[in-house]
Amino acid sequence: MSSVKRQIGFDEAAFDARTAENVVVGGEIVRHRLSSRVIHWTVANTFFLCLLTGLPIWTPVFGWLGNLFGGLSVCRILHPYFGVAFFLASLTMFVHWSREMKMTREERGWVGPRLLAYLRDAENHEKIGKYNGGQKVFFYTSFLASLGLLASGIVGWFPLSFPQGVRIAAIIVHDVTFVLFLVSIVFHIYLATTAEPGTFNAMTRGTVSKAWARIHHPKWYRELLGNGKR
Amino acid sequence: MAVNELEVRRSSASVLGFLGGARKLPTVSKYIDTSTCIGCKACEIACQEWNDLPEVATVQAGSYQTLPDLHAGYWNLIRFNEMEHGDTLVWLMRKDQCMHCEDPGCLEACPAPGAIVQYANGIVDVNPDKCIGCAYCASGCPFNVPKFAEKTGKMQKCTLCVDRSRVGLEPACVKSCPTGCLHFGTKDDMLSLAKGRVAQLKATGFAQAAVYDPPGVGGTAVVTVLAHGDHPEWYGLPKDPQVPLGVKLWKGFLRPLGFLAVLGAVVGAFGHHLYHGNKGHVDPGPRDPDETGTAA
Repeated sequence: MSSVKRQIGFDEAAFDARTAENVVVGGEIVRHRLSSRVIHWTVANTFFLCLLTGLPIWTPVFGWLGNLFGGLSVCRILHPYFGVAFFLASLTMFVHWSREMKMTREERGWVGPRLLAYLRDAENHEKIGKYNGGQKVFFYTSFLASLGLLASGIVGWFPLSFPQGVRIAAIIVHDVTFVLFLVSIVFHIYLATTAEPGTFNAMTRGTVSKAWARIHHPKWYRELLGNGKR
Repeated sequence: MAVNELEVRRSSASVLGFLGGARKLPTVSKYIDTSTCIGCKACEIACQEWNDLPEVATVQAGSYQTLPDLHAGYWNLIRFNEMEHGDTLVWLMRKDQCMHCEDPGCLEACPAPGAIVQYANGIVDVNPDKCIGCAYCASGCPFNVPKFAEKTGKMQKCTLCVDRSRVGLEPACVKSCPTGCLHFGTKDDMLSLAKGRVAQLKATGFAQAAVYDPPGVGGTAVVTVLAHGDHPEWYGLPKDPQVPLGVKLWKGFLRPLGFLAVLGAVVGAFGHHLYHGNKGHVDPGPRDPDETGTAA
């Protein structure tokens, strides 16, 4: 890199984070390259569009949200399109990350006890690589949820094409899947922001500090920096 | 067909549930005697004319029936059913329309506040201003009545001529019926009329004659006399109509539970933070020599 760029305050880490991932730049590590972040935020934003147009249809308690889009009738028209966009983004995300999210046998414990241990800060982190088991479980369940929401959502979009029993089942599947997904999203947002400072940065700027990597993902840290050599 | 002069007893997607009750109006009712219906379809035409409904192309399916099913623009349909009963053929005609249930499944399933209302006199009506055309009402209806209108994107069905009945007129179909098989009045009056007719039918050889006023939906504001009362399905009527279990389960149990679950997640996340604080707030080390700054 030219010294001129350095002199004018060139942000090397952010520049590298456009294309590179898992690289150390000064005191920072690039955790999510630009494409990862764009895909993630496309999923997130289409999810919120679905949430805001869906909540007022779910219950009149949130009826006021319908006004954001011009009323409940507009929500009924928009929600399916947002839903399809959400699914396509989710599918892209699934393909994009599936290689990194392969679960080891040992990580299956995250479905239950280890997740709880993690929340109690009683989980041994030593073997945690770039993603912990909980993140991987969330990765798979959120894709499954997007599939369930798509399938049941198509029935709700074109109700006249399906028999009554299927329509009622679809309403229930959509409802239950949405609630379970929203509960996990609440924890996803919480864990990625207030609960673990420094994490949100990984999805905005794309980088984390070395200390963050060492504390939360020690195995990943060792892979990138060697066994305490640096 | 929102009619402001009539008090609303119950409204769809209402947070507080029941409304109204200031006025005490008797439940109105339509009496249909299937045994004296001659299938002239005068009621079909009267319905089309009074409600200014557009022409709907008829569908010939091998009987006198105008259409295979009710239609967004055809709220009143005589169903012609042919049944072999013993060694004789019975030809059954039944006027099909909204049954105006006391506990309407459509209203229960509807997510749009005020899109389906039950007036103080028991009439169940769709308010097109509020309807969002999601067809949930059709999923909640045990009689498969509400129909989607492609043109307006709204659900439509029989209003029991609420615009006539609120000013003391009988519905258009009743007015047009030449045989007197249709009557209109209070539910009590129509029930006693029906019971009288059932007694007559029983005396003339229809031992199974009965009044169709299904308790599964709290009774209906359409009281139907069936000569073969033990076989409502011969007339295209469900034997024991109920608001679908799935709809009850969804609105009465899953939705409140879901609401609590989401609330619980938010409270749980806050609680977790208050109790456990930040993860990584204390750096366990060992710290690398070239590390600068903190975890955050």
